Amino acid sequence: MQVLLNWYHGLVKAIDSTFIVDGRYQIFLEGLGNTLIITLGALLLGVAVGVFVAISKVYYYQTGPFYFWSSLGSFLRTGQLRYLHQAILKLLDGLLSCYLTVFRGTPVVVQLMIWAFVVFSTTHELLVAIIGFGINSGAYVSEIVRAGIMAVDIGQTEAGRSLGLSAARTMQCIVLPQALKNVLPALGNEGIALIKETSIVGYIAVIDLTKAAALVRARTFDAFVPLLFVAAVYLFMVMFLSFLLKKLEKRLQASDRK
Amino acid sequence: MATNGKTTVKGDPFIEVKGLCKSFGSLQVLCGIDETIRRGDKVVVIGPSGSGKSTFLRCLNLLEKSTSGEIWFDGEEITGPKCKVDHLRQRMGMVFQHFNLFPHKTILENITLAPIIKKVMTKAEAKEKAMSLLTRIGLADKAKIYPNMLSGGQKQRVAIVRALAMNPEVMLFDEPTSALDPEMVGEVLSLMKDLAEDGMTMVVVTHEMGFAREVANRVLFMDSGKILEQNPPDVFFSQPKHPRLKDFLGKIL
Repeated sequence: MQVLLNWYHGLVKAIDSTFIVDGRYQIFLEGLGNTLIITLGALLLGVAVGVFVAISKVYYYQTGPFYFWSSLGSFLRTGQLRYLHQAILKLLDGLLSCYLTVFRGTPVVVQLMIWAFVVFSTTHELLVAIIGFGINSGAYVSEIVRAGIMAVDIGQTEAGRSLGLSAARTMQCIVLPQALKNVLPALGNEGIALIKETSIVGYIAVIDLTKAAALVRARTFDAFVPLLFVAAVYLFMVMFLSFLLKKLEKRLQASDRK
Repeated sequence: MATNGKTTVKGDPFIEVKGLCKSFGSLQVLCGIDETIRRGDKVVVIGPSGSGKSTFLRCLNLLEKSTSGEIWFDGEEITGPKCKVDHLRQRMGMVFQHFNLFPHKTILENITLAPIIKKVMTKAEAKEKAMSLLTRIGLADKAKIYPNMLSGGQKQRVAIVRALAMNPEVMLFDEPTSALDPEMVGEVLSLMKDLAEDGMTMVVVTHEMGFAREVANRVLFMDSGKILEQNPPDVFFSQPKHPRLKDFLGKIL
């Protein structure tokens, strides 16, 4: 009984020193805010980059294959713009493949430090973090979206084009909405992974939720309360995102009912 | 029907195909097609599978790019590099074997999507036109639901109406009844017959010989990438000359 009572008193004291003393809850609030900003920013950037890359790669796949030097040669010889177009498409496709290889092939924490200490070396660490995570996430999102686009029946594209819609309009109004609906669960996975991945952002001196816990732990010498607390907050955020995704999926399923 | 300020007369040459060839890799699918489709024509194309009928049809609105040869539409060459493809396709409606309705759009949205985006009509006009077309095919009560909830025959009729909403001058049908249950073929064919009676220029790839006999003013027989024989339906079916056609008709009639 005494043991339990002692443990309880210890816990109350630890909670007090973790959150109340010196207003330490403010560090956690700041950390939570940064985690949310980075996650949201990176998610938006990642989806934008991913959709762009996916559409470019599918477009090349559907019109190609072309060869860069021979297309360029044909352009220089004949002056026909369509050869230049082909050369640019091939170049873009090659660059995008390099992007996928590099950003999926190296650890995100290394990428983050390269952005922060080699490329930018600014004091806007939050922005650097958003760019770092966003561009990394975009590489994964692009493959998810590409799979989604390629799973939409080619007849949908043909129907759109046969009505006189341009290739871009057909993609925007007909193919992409169906593709995104199909890959929503996989995109949700990517979002969930991203939330938790941001916990390494302390490496570039951003105070996020995890870094906040580490700072407080260093002052109070108590690890139990701050770590379990931030773990619970991450869990809650992921559960909330899953809830939102489930709702969105339900809404998009309106056209599936028979 | 008047476009480009020209008055158009029934019987004028409308689509002229000259020496059309198409290969997929080393496989030659069309080998020199010469054919003129006139305004008001109802041309039915028949032939065994793999004979190039669908490819021929898809070349007409440039869904397939021909390997060589020319296609002229209303006095303009459309196989050249200067052709405005999207504008051309606005004037040619197409109906597919598998309907290809947009599953994420309601029936009404399926029909109004293209007219609104292409600014052929305002939103209100497009909706009004769509509703009058849906009323015509007896599906006005389905405007707000999704394609998944329709039967095959209903889907195909909506697909036809979707193409009509753009006010096309010619309609291309690519085996419109081949994916339907037998009891639904009739409703689609009767809508196509109505369309033909309204004077629409039509090119139809089909296996429905009854339709060809009743509606077509010309029937073409294609085999291995060539048009082997063509005639008005009464002559075509009663006095076939080419041995391949005799053989083909013998198998299906």
